Amino acid sequence: MDFLEFLFAGFAVFWGAIFVYLLTLQGRIRALSRQLERLQERLDERASASMTSEDS
Amino acid sequence: MTLALAAASRAYGWRWQVLPPATGVGIMALLLGAVLAAPREAVEGEVQRLLYIHVPAVLAAYLAFSVTFVASILLLWTRDMRYDPVARSAASVGVLFIALNLATGAIWGKPIWGVYWTWDARLTSTLVLLLIFIAYLLARSLSSRADEQAARYMAVFAIIGFLDVPLVHFAVEWWRTLHPQPILPGRDLPGEMALVLLVGTVAVSLLAVWLIVLRTETEAMAARADALGAELDRFEGA
Repeated sequence: MDFLEFLFAGFAVFWGAIFVYLLTLQGRIRALSRQLERLQERLDERASASMTSEDS
Repeated sequence: MTLALAAASRAYGWRWQVLPPATGVGIMALLLGAVLAAPREAVEGEVQRLLYIHVPAVLAAYLAFSVTFVASILLLWTRDMRYDPVARSAASVGVLFIALNLATGAIWGKPIWGVYWTWDARLTSTLVLLLIFIAYLLARSLSSRADEQAARYMAVFAIIGFLDVPLVHFAVEWWRTLHPQPILPGRDLPGEMALVLLVGTVAVSLLAVWLIVLRTETEAMAARADALGAELDRFEGA
């Protein structure tokens, strides 16, 4: 008895879970990159706006 | 100590050049070895090939929890909050691999023992280890990343929780269990099987290190987003 279906299930669960973990991590990295870009842009806008108001 | 830290810092600089390709090559070698190169086991048959992911998964979990243990000690010792995301990231990867160890063990156990689960010392102590570090991650996520007191309390929790690792490892020697004794290459495994198991252990450990690094970088990005958000709030409040 080789129980090939159990062997297949074990490998599928193992690599499937790692793949899903990597996908989740990649999604989080992408979302954080976009959030960081947006925050930096808003900070730059605020900084230039406050410098303009100080000059005038 | 300073030299070791400098060497570790230099090695960390090479992480993107070394870890992904080395992990990819290792995993390809593991898959080829486990499916094609390793011989069929005479008693259990093909299902015994689960050994090549089941054992490396628990060793990768031990490695990840060791990183959490060391980072927690360093956090308490130096009060440097940079160790907190490392400890949390490693714990998260450890939880992944210990859960995979339990899952592959259950799938392997059904055809061999006739049951997916039994409350023997090895399985139960492994489940307790999983629950300890899930509790650690949940409790730490309730407070903010910058909360130093919460980080210190959870570092103490992680250090105490890590004491379950030797209990898991030696459970098969200290108690009578259904789970087999540790496998010693050369004594219990023929050459090709031992070699594939070694390749699997190296590959899955590299994967665990890569995931810890990726997760730590993600935590650093989240901390930077928090800091920028706070700075923006100050601007808008002023």
